[in-house]
Amino acid sequence: MTSGLHVEPLGRELADVAAVLRRSTVEVRTRGTGVGSGIVWDTTGTIVTNAHVARADHATVVLSDGRELAGVVTARDPRRDLALITVDVAGTPLPAAIVGHPTDLRTGDLVLALGNPLGITGALAMGIVHVVERRRGAPRWIRADIRLAPGNSGGPLADVRGRVIGVNTLIANGLGVAVPATTVLRFLADASHSRRGTGYRAA
Amino acid sequence: MAGPTTTTPAGGVLESLSNDLAGAVERAGQSVVAIHARRRIPASGIHWRPGTIVAAHHTIQRDEEITISLADGSSVAATLAGRDPTTDLAVLKVDEAKVPIASFADASGVRVGALVLALGRPGAAITASMGVVSAVGGEWRTWHGGTIDRFVRLDISIYDGFSGGPLIDAGGRVLGLNTSGLSRGAALSIPIATVNRVVDQLLASGRVSRGYLGLGMQAVRLPAALVERLSLPNDIGLMIVSAEPGGPGDSAGVLIGDILTAIGTTPVADPSELLALLGGDQVGKTIEAKLIRAGEPKSVTITIGERPPQARGSRRGR
Repeated sequence: MTSGLHVEPLGRELADVAAVLRRSTVEVRTRGTGVGSGIVWDTTGTIVTNAHVARADHATVVLSDGRELAGVVTARDPRRDLALITVDVAGTPLPAAIVGHPTDLRTGDLVLALGNPLGITGALAMGIVHVVERRRGAPRWIRADIRLAPGNSGGPLADVRGRVIGVNTLIANGLGVAVPATTVLRFLADASHSRRGTGYRAA
Repeated sequence: MAGPTTTTPAGGVLESLSNDLAGAVERAGQSVVAIHARRRIPASGIHWRPGTIVAAHHTIQRDEEITISLADGSSVAATLAGRDPTTDLAVLKVDEAKVPIASFADASGVRVGALVLALGRPGAAITASMGVVSAVGGEWRTWHGGTIDRFVRLDISIYDGFSGGPLIDAGGRVLGLNTSGLSRGAALSIPIATVNRVVDQLLASGRVSRGYLGLGMQAVRLPAALVERLSLPNDIGLMIVSAEPGGPGDSAGVLIGDILTAIGTTPVADPSELLALLGGDQVGKTIEAKLIRAGEPKSVTITIGERPPQARGSRRGR
C-alpha cells in the first residue's frame, strides 16, 4: 500500500461514515410492496426512493431514530425508477444527506451502501465501483462490486466521505446497480416544474 | 436529531485507500484489452509483452477474425499464436499495440489476505472487483493435465470479463492472470511464472506439447489375494476403460480391461500420477507399462505419443 495505511483508523473512519449515512437513510413501507429504503434528500421533508418501492400513493417513512412519518408519494418516474415522497416534518428539520458528484467516480473507488436488506435495519455494505456506464460523458448507471439484497432498493450508495452518489436500484449479475445522484437531481427538477406548471398529481 | 448531516473530513485513510485502488485500476487498466472472439460479451486479455496478448483459452471461441480493443479506444486485428487448454491459456499476436505492457509484481506478493483487485475489459470500459487472496498452495495439476506453479484461490466475485484479466495489487502491479475456467466456478489466478512458461512454448512452437497414451482409465481396488500373490506396491490400479484405435497404447497391445499398476518402477494409483509422467519432454520415449491381464502380470512397452491439439474453447466460465 502506497499510503502507509493502518487498520485501526480505517475501521474508525468506516464506523463514522456509516453513522453519517445511517442518519439520512430511512425505511419506506407501503402497502403491498413490503420494506424498502429511502434517502432524506433535504431537511424539509423530501425523501427519495425507487419507484418500485413507492408503488402506492401513500407510504410510511421510518427515520433512523425510529420516528414514523406519514408520507405522500408526490412524484414517480418508472423509467428512471425514482419516486419522491413528501413528509410533514412539523417544524423539525430532518437529517438530510449530502449529495456527492457521481461524475468524478472512477472504477476502483470504494463505495458504501446503507439500507434495509432483507428487513435488517440500517445495514452497511462496502465495495468498489465496478464501472460507471456513461452516455455522452454523463453517468447513466453506477455498477458496484458490492453485496446488496432486496430491501436495499431506494437506499444510498455513497462515497467514502458519506456523500450520496446514487440510489441503489437493482442487482444484475451479482452487481449492485445504482441510479446516479445527477439523475435524481434532474428528476427532482422535473417533478417540481410539473407541479408548479400543470397541477401535477401523484401518478 | 436535527439539521443537515455533515460528511466525514477529507484526507482520511479511507479516502486515500479509495484513491489508491482507483489509481491502481487506472494504471493497470492501460494494459488490459478486450478480445472479440466469442458471441455476446467480449473477453479480457493482458498486454503481456510487446505485441503479445495473453488470454484465457476458454474465452477464445474462434481461431480467426479476432479483434482486440485497447485502452486508448483503438481496435487492432490479432492472430492466435497458440493455445494450451491444459492451463486455460491462449496467446495472441498483434502488429502494434499503442498501450503499455503490464508491470509485474514479485511472486512474494501473492499471500493469503493480500488485498487484490481483479480487472476486466468486457467492452470499452475497464471493470474491477475487490477481494483477497484466500488460499495459496504449491504446484498443482489441472483437470486437463496442465501444471500450474502455485495454487492461488481468490475470495472475489466473478463477473463478465473476469477470465483473462489480471489480478493486481493495490499498487497496480500484476500478480497473475485470472480464470474461472480451471475450476467449477471458483476464482483462480494463474501465476506469472506459469504464464511466462506457456507463452514461451506457444510463441516457439504454437503449442504446449504433452505426452499421450490414448488410453482412458479408472482407478479400481484390487482384491487382497491378488495384491499378495503378485506382490503389488499398492491395492489400487488403473483399469483401462477405453483405447484410442491406433493410439500409442492400442498399438502396443494394451487391451480394455487391463489394469495398469506401475510405469517402470513407479506405482500409479491415480490418473494424475500417470499424467505427471507424461510431460512434453517424454514424447517419443518408451515406457514399460506393468499390467494385470486375466489375473496375471504382463509388461508392455509403449512409445509415448504427442497429445493431439484440442479445438476451440468451451462455453464454460466467464
